[in-house]
Amino acid sequence: MKRKNWTMALLSGMLILGLVLTACGGAEEAAAPPEPTEPPVPTEAPIEAPTEAPTEPPEPTEAPEPVAVTYWHTMSDAEVEAMEEVIAMFEAEHPDIHIEMTRYAYDDFKSALLTSLAGGEGPDTARLDIIWVPELAEMEALVALDEAMEDFDGIAAKTFPGPLATNHWKGHYYGLPQDTNTQVLLWHKVLFDEAGIDSPPATLEEFKESACALSKGEEQYGYAMGGTYFWAPAPVFYAMGGKVVDEDITTAEGYINGPESVAAFQMLVDMYNEGCLSPNLLGGGVGTSDGHATGLYAMIIDGPWMVDIYKADFPDFEVNFAPIPNGPDGTTSSVVGGQDIVVFDGSEHKEAAMEWARFLLSEEAQLKMAERGVIPTLSTVIGDPSLPDYFGVFLEQLKTAQARVPHPQWGDMDGAINNAYQRMLRGEQTVQEALDQAAQEIDALLAQ
Amino acid sequence: MATSTGERIELEARPSLPARGLALLRQVYRARTAYLFLFPGLILFTAFVIYPMLYSLRISFYDWNVIKPAKSEFVGLDNYQMLLSAPVFRRAVLNTLAYTAITVPGQMTLALIVAVLLDQKIRGKTFFRVAYYLPVITSWVIVTLIFEYLFNSQAGMINYLLRDVLHLVDEPIRWLADPVLAMVPINLLGIWKGVGWSAIIMLAALQEIPGELLEAAAVDGAGPWSRLRGITLPLLRPTLVFLLVVLVIGGLNVYISVLLMTDGGQPLDLTHSVLTLMVKETFDRLNFGGGAAISYLLTAFVFFISVLQIRLLRRRVEY
Repeated sequence: MKRKNWTMALLSGMLILGLVLTACGGAEEAAAPPEPTEPPVPTEAPIEAPTEAPTEPPEPTEAPEPVAVTYWHTMSDAEVEAMEEVIAMFEAEHPDIHIEMTRYAYDDFKSALLTSLAGGEGPDTARLDIIWVPELAEMEALVALDEAMEDFDGIAAKTFPGPLATNHWKGHYYGLPQDTNTQVLLWHKVLFDEAGIDSPPATLEEFKESACALSKGEEQYGYAMGGTYFWAPAPVFYAMGGKVVDEDITTAEGYINGPESVAAFQMLVDMYNEGCLSPNLLGGGVGTSDGHATGLYAMIIDGPWMVDIYKADFPDFEVNFAPIPNGPDGTTSSVVGGQDIVVFDGSEHKEAAMEWARFLLSEEAQLKMAERGVIPTLSTVIGDPSLPDYFGVFLEQLKTAQARVPHPQWGDMDGAINNAYQRMLRGEQTVQEALDQAAQEIDALLAQ
Repeated sequence: MATSTGERIELEARPSLPARGLALLRQVYRARTAYLFLFPGLILFTAFVIYPMLYSLRISFYDWNVIKPAKSEFVGLDNYQMLLSAPVFRRAVLNTLAYTAITVPGQMTLALIVAVLLDQKIRGKTFFRVAYYLPVITSWVIVTLIFEYLFNSQAGMINYLLRDVLHLVDEPIRWLADPVLAMVPINLLGIWKGVGWSAIIMLAALQEIPGELLEAAAVDGAGPWSRLRGITLPLLRPTLVFLLVVLVIGGLNVYISVLLMTDGGQPLDLTHSVLTLMVKETFDRLNFGGGAAISYLLTAFVFFISVLQIRLLRRRVEY
């Protein structure tokens, strides 16, 4: 009797365990790297001084067995089409290298990449969001390209300094800027005409006035942003002269809670309280891109991809771009986005991978991608007649746009500002109190 | 619990050790085909379940470097300690327990009603069975997006009904912008999606109950309510216990709906479930040790509560 009870308990225990494991199966497996015995990163090709001979023997030119270089990214449909052409161009020039690209959803990319790297099955190269580069560099997953590529300085010199800087971590460059973007103002001309406003705002003061003039209760809001994560208020924040940390990334005290930063968030909170900024930013409302096209939101701030999105979803909608309005000091600013091409330390084909990175930074590749709305990072192609017209405002904005803090802990810093913004919008704290708390949290991260 | 004397008596009564070993071997040999068939499954179970489980147990004691595991720093119980003192984790536990406490009774009560109704001789039975089962086979992602749309604060049907049709509220309710109100769509979705599955299981059990029992009770003058309480429910007990255990496990593991509806714990990281927090810690914050620790705390809790449920509730069924 007793024995039987125990057997039953044991069996039911096993059953429960099985159920638990199936219920969170994916996550469990993902959390546990499958191959611990083998070091996931073979370091047979250490990157030493560039004077060393290439680690791979030169391929015989007669019968080349193509080296497969894997390339992971999170591109859109339009970008993938252009990238297929770029790959064809590259392979025509380099018959000894074959590029295998794999596309991931943005939200799944980091987990997919990390689990693959942990299992020693990571890609050779990837196009990473600029904010992930310091994080992966800190984990020693990336090749320091300024050491490994002899011609790095020459290539880097041709790129815009802002996007290039996103590859810098602890004295080295761990990638090259593959593409860049920034956010500008999108204004709904029909709604502006209705309200008798004939041009987009030139200053942030006018921006607030226009936004309130264009707001009609729940029917229409002058301005809307997609959420409270830092990317959303960043253009206004930087244009107002806001700063997250000091230049050397040592402290946030006096920066994120400094007078300019407080003024920036105060303006947004005032707009929200006066009904000129849509409440959707708190979550669970109408998205900015749909809302703007359907006339719910007169102004939004977004990137160059909106052209393709509207072309697909609202083909009749006329998109109008304008620079981010000037701040109190008379200058505009915005936030730098984009992606960097990186080579992984675990790659067995580093030379071929770097050749691919080189090609992605070539003028022909950059111009090909530009056809589908990807803004080039090479200053040498600016002014090329084949670039789309609407690039003008973005390229102009990029001159003053600022990068977010290039730091492995940026995700947590973003979270601290996000939460501060939420608390001030909800009236739980004043702007100053909320940002003082964010400064403390960021300083704790920097002290780690 | 066997006392030590009881144990000894039992041991003494048994044949000697070698004889028992021989008997065991003979038993295994007789059932060799069965073991042979079990073997491949066992290998897979070991490789893909047991091994990763033990490995993540190890991770939970480290400040884990996922790229270069050799560089990981042993931190003992720090990950667990940090979690237990973190308000975000406590809130996630609270949300998950509340979700379980609301959706499990909700599903079981509604499922019982549906099952009893479907057990009657009514027209269009198949239609109703399909209708109630449809949410079960629909993808979590799709139904979550539908609920998100229904509960949209600016364009959602629920606010339209509440304000413009029923005039119950003056202002649109910002469901997903509020950490407490966000629990309403999440829990409603959990109940709505699960009712059909529980109902089908209960219906199967209801059909096992011999009709004569109910007829005899009716002849003796028992009304529908006392028949349900006196006959149907006691006989359903094993099924109800099974459902309770399985639904509680499911409730504690709520993930997709919370992840999508709250955009991963928004606002203010107050709407996490334990699993969304685990994924955020692991893959957003790259805190693999902390993530593994969360998974172990959850597994331990689920294991404990399930064994408790089975032992407490099964025993009473026996008499």
